[in-house]
Amino acid sequence: MLEVLIVDDDQIVVFIQKKMMNNHEIAQNPISFGKAADALDYIIQEQKLSQQKDFLILLDINMPNMNGWDFLKCLESHEQKSKYHVIMVTSSIDRKDKEKAKNFSTVRSFIEKPISASDCDKIKEISEISHFFEPV
Amino acid sequence: MRKNSGELKILVIEDNPGDFMLIQDYLSEEHHALEIQRAENFKVAKEILQNHSNFNTVLLDLSLPDINNTELLVKNILSISNGAPVVVLTGYTDKDYGAKTLSWGVSDYLLKDEINASNLSKSIHYSMERKKVQRQLYESEEKYRTLFDSSPLPMWVLDRHTLEFLSVNQAATKLYGYSREEFMKMTVRDLWAEEDDRIEKVVQDNFHELFTVKVKHFTKNRETLYIDVQSNPILFGGREARVTLAHNITEKLKAEEKLKHSQQRFKALVQDGSDLISIIDENFNYSYISPSVENVLGVNPEGMEGKNVFQYMHKEDRERIKDKIKYLGKKKSYQLPSYRYKDGAGGWRWLETIISDLRHDSSINGLVANSRDITKFKIQERQLRESLERYDIVAKATSDLITDYNIEKDVFQYSNAIHEIFGYSQNELGFSKKWWQEQIHPDDRLRVVEAANSIYERGQKLLNIEYRFQCLDGSYKYVLDRSYVITDDSGNPSRIIGSIQDITERRNYINAIERSNSRLREIAWTQSHVVRAPLARIMGLIDLLKNQRNNLDNIEEIIDNILNSSEELDKVIRKITIKTEEEF
Repeated sequence: MLEVLIVDDDQIVVFIQKKMMNNHEIAQNPISFGKAADALDYIIQEQKLSQQKDFLILLDINMPNMNGWDFLKCLESHEQKSKYHVIMVTSSIDRKDKEKAKNFSTVRSFIEKPISASDCDKIKEISEISHFFEPV
Repeated sequence: MRKNSGELKILVIEDNPGDFMLIQDYLSEEHHALEIQRAENFKVAKEILQNHSNFNTVLLDLSLPDINNTELLVKNILSISNGAPVVVLTGYTDKDYGAKTLSWGVSDYLLKDEINASNLSKSIHYSMERKKVQRQLYESEEKYRTLFDSSPLPMWVLDRHTLEFLSVNQAATKLYGYSREEFMKMTVRDLWAEEDDRIEKVVQDNFHELFTVKVKHFTKNRETLYIDVQSNPILFGGREARVTLAHNITEKLKAEEKLKHSQQRFKALVQDGSDLISIIDENFNYSYISPSVENVLGVNPEGMEGKNVFQYMHKEDRERIKDKIKYLGKKKSYQLPSYRYKDGAGGWRWLETIISDLRHDSSINGLVANSRDITKFKIQERQLRESLERYDIVAKATSDLITDYNIEKDVFQYSNAIHEIFGYSQNELGFSKKWWQEQIHPDDRLRVVEAANSIYERGQKLLNIEYRFQCLDGSYKYVLDRSYVITDDSGNPSRIIGSIQDITERRNYINAIERSNSRLREIAWTQSHVVRAPLARIMGLIDLLKNQRNNLDNIEEIIDNILNSSEELDKVIRKITIKTEEEF
């Protein structure tokens, strides 16, 4: 099972992304977090309950306190990191950010805000998670 | 004949008492002072003769009882007679036999039957006289032989035809190293070292004449001798010979050779040397000029004799030199300042001259001028001066600090800019490499020292490096140090010439630009993110409105959010405008 998490401090962004996830049938009801630390806690908690779960995480970079990079570093130390599929979502993509993301095995893709219909299609095609969207 | 004229001592060897008596009588008839001794046989005669040596004559009878061989008897007696004449008395009548005894060396031969007082006495006296003459002759020969043998000049006698050695003296054996025996097996040709034909011809041409010839001889050890030969024709023991005096002139020739070399050397120095040597008379006219003038100045020396010295000298230099020459006589020799002199091609050469006053030397009778062409040196000197002036002007004109570092002595020299740029006065300066490195900013020092090491360790010629250098007041200035390495003859670095440019202003300016650039970059990055955040929201919301209108519960709220985001965007853009107008 693939659970979708939205990590962003901007509530409007979260609203838009939830709608898009829903409308494009990526997730019925994605869970959102305004703080990265909360998202991390949730993942650890969920992981304890079910070892079988995969996570698709839409991650904003610029956030107060724990930012996107800090969050990624924490994920990197997890045993189950192969089950985390992070999409970096940022208001403007920086070449340096893309370089930096190469250090993290969990990052699958970059999306520039706002998230578009074609972005959603591309998410479904990511090889590590595409099997979750195949028609039954 | 010798009656009353001194005592006559006679030995009579006679075995026959009758004969002895008879002889005694004969002798007594003619002589008063007479001492006769008798030997009856050979044995007694030998004893007497060996013990007494003062007989005037020996009378010998050939038929003695104790000896049969007449020849042996005669020769024996002759050998011990101590020069006394031996007169043989015999009964034989064979004249040939008598002649034979004469050939053995006896003085006379008398037949006993024919003897009387008169002819016996006559024979004794003739014999004695003859013996005396013989001895004189012998002594004179002896004298000449001694003269020949002990002459300090090497001499020899040669066969005139074969040139074989017949006799050599001691000096010759000593000079040539051959023994007398070796000489006797040689001819003089064996001594000749060269030019055999020439000597042969001289010998032939003067076969019966005296000649002198200079020849080269070899000694036994193959050392070369130069011999002045003087040779006279003589008769030597009846042979046609020549006596030769060999005057060893080797040492003399060597000395002459040395003298000749020394003269040639002197000539070479004067004629072909690079110095000009001239003799000038009291009116400053040349009385002699060395042939080297042709090489040095391209002037024919003969054309110059009698000409005035000043005629060739540059007008501007004449007075100066004349002034100096005025003081001649006070000093034996002194150096003139350099002056220009016209060469054979009409160009000017710089000469440097030492004048020696040899007017009182009768062989010179003038001033000796020893001149040297220093044109090349003068030109170099001028180039060097110009180059130094250029350096001075450059050092003054440039605001850069010019340094000259002597590696071996570890000493810096600075141009005045050291004061102008860094504020150091002469007293506050250090001059060692250590001092220089201490003034470099600690953060730059290691980098600069390492770069400088590449000069010493890797043979780098140029150094181009920026660093901070401490001023007298403790502040630092940025400098661009461009250094060039000068190497000595063997290629090792000897000096480092540096041009130190004060780039503090430029550096500060660049630093300011770099700072503002990074600030601008930072602002631009932040702004693009800040601007895009509300813009992305607006775009996202409008996208929802357009494509998902049916799935939206609260359209009013979405429109409000669009409006809020638009206002936020507006604020952000105004803020950027204000920021870019700020000064850095």
